Amino acid sequence: MKLILSSCFLQMQLSFSRSMFRYCLLVDPIFFALITYMIYKDSSVENFIAYVILGTGLSSLFNNIVFSSAGDIDRERYMGTLEMIFTAPGGFRNIILGKIIGNTLLGLLSMLVVVVFLNIFFGVNMKIASPMFFVMAMLLSVVSFIAISLIMAAIFTLSRNSRGLMNCISYPVMILCGFYFPITILPEWSRVFSYILSPTWAVKLLREAVYGIKDYSSFYMESGILLALSAAYIVLFIILAGVMEKRVRVKATLGVY
Amino acid sequence: MENAIYVKDLVREYDVAKSREKGGKSVLQALKGISFEVNKGEIFGLLGPNGAGKTTTIKILTTMLTSTSGEARVLGYDVNRHEKELRNHINFIFGGERGLYWRLSARDNLMYFSDLYRLDRKTRTKRVPELLEMVGLADRADEKVERYSKGMKQRLQIARGLINDPKVVFLDEPTLGLDPIGARELKGIIKELKSLDKTILLTTHYMLEADELCDRIAIIDKGEIKALDTPDKLKKLNANMSVIEVTTIGISGQAIEELKLVNGVQLVNVQDMDQQQQLQIHCESPSMVVQGVLGVLSQFKVIDMCIREATLEDAYVKLVEGKE
Ligand SMILES: Nc1ncnc2c1ncn2[C@@H]1O[C@H](COP(=O)(O)OP(=O)(O)OP(=O)(O)O)[C@@H](O)[C@H]1O
Ligand SMILES: [Mg+2]
Repeated sequence: MKLILSSCFLQMQLSFSRSMFRYCLLVDPIFFALITYMIYKDSSVENFIAYVILGTGLSSLFNNIVFSSAGDIDRERYMGTLEMIFTAPGGFRNIILGKIIGNTLLGLLSMLVVVVFLNIFFGVNMKIASPMFFVMAMLLSVVSFIAISLIMAAIFTLSRNSRGLMNCISYPVMILCGFYFPITILPEWSRVFSYILSPTWAVKLLREAVYGIKDYSSFYMESGILLALSAAYIVLFIILAGVMEKRVRVKATLGVY
Repeated sequence: MENAIYVKDLVREYDVAKSREKGGKSVLQALKGISFEVNKGEIFGLLGPNGAGKTTTIKILTTMLTSTSGEARVLGYDVNRHEKELRNHINFIFGGERGLYWRLSARDNLMYFSDLYRLDRKTRTKRVPELLEMVGLADRADEKVERYSKGMKQRLQIARGLINDPKVVFLDEPTLGLDPIGARELKGIIKELKSLDKTILLTTHYMLEADELCDRIAIIDKGEIKALDTPDKLKKLNANMSVIEVTTIGISGQAIEELKLVNGVQLVNVQDMDQQQQLQIHCESPSMVVQGVLGVLSQFKVIDMCIREATLEDAYVKLVEGKE
């Protein structure tokens, strides 16, 4: 537990000391928000709030949690510290979890930046109809993003060339999960993927919480689905981590020499 | 008494992707069935040229890699199967500057690694300053590691490797890239570790370092152990051997082949130094051989020549390069 915490703090400290990271965390989302704002400006107010704030905020958060966590594994590999944290008695899984939580907190900061920026420069306010449910949906979303991130980190530990993969899946996820537009406009066949990706449900719940929940039973049901998917991801991670911890010692991918 | 390290017929293979045309994968045998034992409290050296399999051996023993076949135990734990139990009792130090968080201070690095090894607060607050003191970094402990010199980073690695007070310490080329003074300081620290009753396995390709530090040395080349003994006994492998050292300019390959054929010559080792070459001619009775050697060398310019007793280095050269 202590190790998770200290890995979390270390991660925040390390990440924040990289100037590129600060850019991605604080500046990039602002540009992103700006573009989205311009695109949606003349559409109805309803869309505006949901898609600009939730869309950019969530994708900053998502990218931060999932992609920087995965990239950090690679960074540790090149620093030569991956072998050390891998063999640490404290447990590699705890360290990964700590790192991901660290990135999550930073990601939330990034989301906050978007909200504050839009508020100050465009006077856009996010009116949340059901704040309680919004917080709950947010918590569930974060948990599910962390679960995805764990899986990614396990894959990245095992393979040395997964960096490419990481860059390839960012946009498909944003599209499939309806970060910027409802998935109902996507082709029928692609919705299968949407439904097994937990961010789809996260986005849906958050949007409902912002507009006001019309049908509570379906809100609970969707929360349940999100929770179940997250749990399934965590189980998958545990299985994967077990396999990874064995394979990595056979394949010798922890180091770069 | 139980050995600290027990290695029997250890084999490690790596899959290496071949070039496209040749197609498919091939297997590289980095360790071809090595066996050795290290006693508790001993400093044991693995000495060998690049690619010999030293790092591979250490990575297997420190549970970063698994072996392909054979047996390896550290402190009685099977390294392939009981890695979780073992990891608390060992640590490793790799030469070079990697393996540290450069953006953190030395103290923060050690603090974090003490969490990785689950030290309690009391042990940690005591041990971290002690270690910083021991490796001479106490007064610069709060500077970021990226501003440290190589030697300082290396010493921080040592402190890191001792954070869990390990019983067995593995050191992979600990003096890599250090100047003579830095290397001497480091050797001092290693000797200090021995006095703390730790078992040490270190790798190096400097004979002198191995000679100075190790109780026993295994000479390893191309995944095989060529010799294993105390430095003194290894030197005695060459007991009645002498070396004629000749420095020449522009000697031809053909002349070297001729030298090898001179009666009594056992081995000729050539080292290029700018335009000069240094030949080391191994033989038993130099007085008998020198005549023939001079005959071959008569067409070349000889700058310097001397006859000396064989050293550990010569034994090493002979073992690694002699039998081809
Ligand atoms: N991850 C890897 N994948 C494929 N081959 C590897 C890997 N690591 C090492 N090898 C190969 O195994 C052999 C032994 O390497 P090893 O690093 O153990 O040698 P070494 O004795 O430590 O050499 P050096 O003195 O250069 O450090 C070499 O031929 C090397 O190319
Ligand atoms: Mg090596």
